[in-house]
Amino acid sequence: MSWLNGVTVSIVLFGIGLLGLVLRRDLVIKLLALGLVNASTILCLVSLGARSDGAPPLLGISTVQNIVDPLPQAIVLSAIVINFAILALALVFVMLLVERYHTTDSHRIERETAEEEEQEELWS
Amino acid sequence: MRHVSVSLVLVAVGLTAAFCVVVLLGFGFRGPGIADTEPALSVATWIDVAQGTGARNIVSAIYLNVRLFDTILEVLVFSVAVLGVHFYLTARGRPEPVESIPESSVVRVAADLLLPLILLIGLYVTVYGHLSPGGGFSGGVIAGTGLLLAAIVLGTKTVTARLGRRLLDRLEWITLLGILIVGLVPAALARTPLVDLLPAGSPGRVGSGGSILLYNGLIGLKVFVGSWVIIRHFVDHRGEI
Repeated sequence: MSWLNGVTVSIVLFGIGLLGLVLRRDLVIKLLALGLVNASTILCLVSLGARSDGAPPLLGISTVQNIVDPLPQAIVLSAIVINFAILALALVFVMLLVERYHTTDSHRIERETAEEEEQEELWS
Repeated sequence: MRHVSVSLVLVAVGLTAAFCVVVLLGFGFRGPGIADTEPALSVATWIDVAQGTGARNIVSAIYLNVRLFDTILEVLVFSVAVLGVHFYLTARGRPEPVESIPESSVVRVAADLLLPLILLIGLYVTVYGHLSPGGGFSGGVIAGTGLLLAAIVLGTKTVTARLGRRLLDRLEWITLLGILIVGLVPAALARTPLVDLLPAGSPGRVGSGGSILLYNGLIGLKVFVGSWVIIRHFVDHRGEI
């Protein structure tokens, strides 16, 4: 099972998330899929520094030879915070859309916006 | 409509396949410990960096010292998200208030017991961020989650009244301003290194690590208040939890 590592698992998760992002019509599920894509990226980056005898990157506590690479962990921190920010803001936009169109179905929202535009053209 | 979604699926599958091929060729077939055979060059560099700052946690030495400006901009992104939630949900106006559902006594007693502990753990994780795993972001989120627990039990109105709504809104921007000022003071005074204002101190002490403790505290406060503002707005516009 030498191929079963963080990178391969993250590739599977990335694929599932991307397909969910494209194929599912529910906006909330799209956001969940976006979160899955983000989680897979985090898993991929962190596991790039993984060692089978790895120790946490703490000086004076772990032995220096076994320390895992701390750089991906420091970079992943930005990804986590920005994912949280995007999720909160996107949920607000979904709430606004639901209040206006009373559905989370993206196809129905698109149809209704198209109808609205047609009516505006008729009136003008 | 139909052909657009088909081409989107094709693009998605193609992108995923390309990504898989690149990553698999690079790192894929190595077993769980991917970096086992790698020379520890990068790690040695980062250990030097951490020893220079006096912090024990190499990760915080990286993101609050050599990558400090990146982290400050990241805090800015978080603040913009909080401002966006605040702006759009305030513009939406207040919906009809919903009666809060009383929680069972088990939850109430557990929350009373756990809330001080959760806040204490949040503070500990923030203050010891340069000595052990943790830091401002995780500590702030832990403490913010503790407030969410209080909001579930007491209702957001009570929690907001106890904390002071205006104080929280102001505290958010004051801490952001504090982070920016502390980050830019060394540049204004033309002091090098540009990211470190305080002396390194002896490693292992709480007072070590240069400015990392200061930044961790400010970021912890920022994330704590920011996550509470987000939670409060979401709850306010969905009725009570």
